[in-house]
Amino acid sequence: MAEGLEVLLLDDEPIVGKRLKPALAKIGCNVEVFEDPKKALERINQKEFDIVVTDIRMDEVDGLQVLEHVRQSSERTKVIMITGYAMMAVAREAMEKGAFDFISKPFKPDDLRKVIAKAAEALGSNIQSEISETDGS
Amino acid sequence: MSIILISSDHYETCRAVAQQVAESTGYALLDRKILGEVASASRIPEPKILKSLEPSSSTVGLPAKVRNRALAAIQSAVMVRLLDDKVVCYGLAAHLYVLGVSHVLKIRILCKEEERVSLMATERNVGIEKARKLLKKQEAVQKRWSLDVFGRDETNPSLYDMVINMSQIEPDEAVNAIVETVSYRKFQSMTYSIKCLKDRELSIRVRLALMEKYSDVDVTADGATVVVRTKALRREKRKKTENIRALAGQISGVSYVEVHAGRDIFRQAAESA
Repeated sequence: MAEGLEVLLLDDEPIVGKRLKPALAKIGCNVEVFEDPKKALERINQKEFDIVVTDIRMDEVDGLQVLEHVRQSSERTKVIMITGYAMMAVAREAMEKGAFDFISKPFKPDDLRKVIAKAAEALGSNIQSEISETDGS
Repeated sequence: MSIILISSDHYETCRAVAQQVAESTGYALLDRKILGEVASASRIPEPKILKSLEPSSSTVGLPAKVRNRALAAIQSAVMVRLLDDKVVCYGLAAHLYVLGVSHVLKIRILCKEEERVSLMATERNVGIEKARKLLKKQEAVQKRWSLDVFGRDETNPSLYDMVINMSQIEPDEAVNAIVETVSYRKFQSMTYSIKCLKDRELSIRVRLALMEKYSDVDVTADGATVVVRTKALRREKRKKTENIRALAGQISGVSYVEVHAGRDIFRQAAESA
């Protein structure tokens, strides 16, 4: 059911996209990776993604701005925030602005897969079984 | 889902509001009824467990080691139950140790002062002015207790998400305000906030286990990694570090233990005197 789940992954650290793209591809996500938030915003204007995964602390455009942009352009898209500088106030702000979930770095690819599964479920899909089959990969 | 922690300057008011909030939300109520279980699990008599939660101006209180272990046992039991989510908790001092968890809504209820004075006058069989003085003294003791034991002043409003002054708000209105506020998205649980709670649950569980042998430990957890800070004399440092590592390493959920043993300057000074 995860086939065709369109995911945009934005993080200014190249290693994050490099590591997470194959992890999400294994559960059937089509992942587009961006390191430049401005380019990511352009792409969001062109295409409605099912899920946007974005870092919070980035130069020029931060993750909360990306979240607001997605909320304006698509009600349906689930936004998952990831950050190495997690704090209660930021987490609450993100949730209030409409984030689907909030994860602190470092995390394991499987942690993100679980959140993606929850988001997929909220979108009417179910990738639970795919996760358990690929667990630990 | 969320957790609601309610504290107050008056226990009965706190209980009444907490019970109504639990009824309105359908959340489980977590209160001092768990202290019997805490006593059995920790092998500390229940009266001592209860006494650890009650500030006293008397010098004949619980010994600090017993009090700290009793409070750690309460904290551990509370944290486990908070992991269940959808909980209204009061009367267990959780507002002083459940910190930095975004899906925990912290409420402070301020009871009508005149009502408290009147209650104090009846309880102690004294006049209104005497009762007012006694109340002020009680408040000072309570404040000092929160600072001494948890390093936080519970009368500081910045510790809470919402402070409700019952002299201006009816109980039903207070309950409605709490129920409405907890529905805000910012108080909903998320992967990060659940991890924060799990980390705190593990850290207090490890601390409680270590306290049987070492009372001077501070523990933090991040995932399955636990950091223990303690103090030791130079000659005992290695052995103490190894013992702590071994003890903590046996606890469920712990995969890596780091121990930082600083110099115990007070014991060192005492021994060299």
